[in-house]
Amino acid sequence: MVKFYQHTSSFEHAWDNVTYAFWLRYPNPFASHVLGCDVLDRSVDPATGVLRTTRLILKKGVLPRWGRNLIKNVDTYIIEESVVDPRTHTMVTRTKNLNHVRVMQVEETQTFTVHPENSKWTQVKTEARIISELRWGLTGRVESFGINKFMDNSAKARKGMAHILERLRQNAAMAA
Amino acid sequence: MSSSIGEKCTKIKQEYDGCFNNWYSEKFLKGDATPQCDDLFFKYKECLMQTLEEKKLDTLIADARKDNPFPNASSSSSSSKSESSSKKE
Repeated sequence: MVKFYQHTSSFEHAWDNVTYAFWLRYPNPFASHVLGCDVLDRSVDPATGVLRTTRLILKKGVLPRWGRNLIKNVDTYIIEESVVDPRTHTMVTRTKNLNHVRVMQVEETQTFTVHPENSKWTQVKTEARIISELRWGLTGRVESFGINKFMDNSAKARKGMAHILERLRQNAAMAA
Repeated sequence: MSSSIGEKCTKIKQEYDGCFNNWYSEKFLKGDATPQCDDLFFKYKECLMQTLEEKKLDTLIADARKDNPFPNASSSSSSSKSESSSKKE
């Protein structure tokens, strides 16, 4: 079974700052579940000028009681691949969990572009796919839990980014 | 700055992060993509690869990275040295 999720939101901050905040976003008060974040690879393509990064993120898992029998260690490793094209002002990030994939695989793509209506803002398109391969009647439950949890986490992630962006704005104001 | 998954790598990781953040905002976004933090990244990655092996994450990661999420972007990543050393099958 597969569930899809799509959402478009915006930040009232310039694209440069939003993509910068993306790198700075951990830790923040809305991401206490993030235990660690590492850069596995990073390079700039000499032909296109595109920055490509692979990161590994470790998150403390939260499961409802019925799920604790399925997974003993609920910590989740997430791989995040991203490309930043400074010429077209486009950043695309793709994340998916590495472990617990049989219970649930969440694949998320986020695209950060200059807001079409205000060039000083940034538009973020989020698309996600939630897949569970469990066969014994739990699939629907797992996926509903997954989608709710995913939406909660998306909202938290947006708050975290907004928090970092506000801090950047304050720092810039102080430096000016 | 966030911690590394390998506790012992956090210090070098944060040093690298500091360098990268500065490069990203002051150079890269302004059109200068000349690398600046390679030495720090090399040291950091050495520590990190050890951790990933210890935690038996290396093969999990290598498998996950087999499917290219950005097939249109030409991949120029040449830093697969440390990964290939752990492939025994």
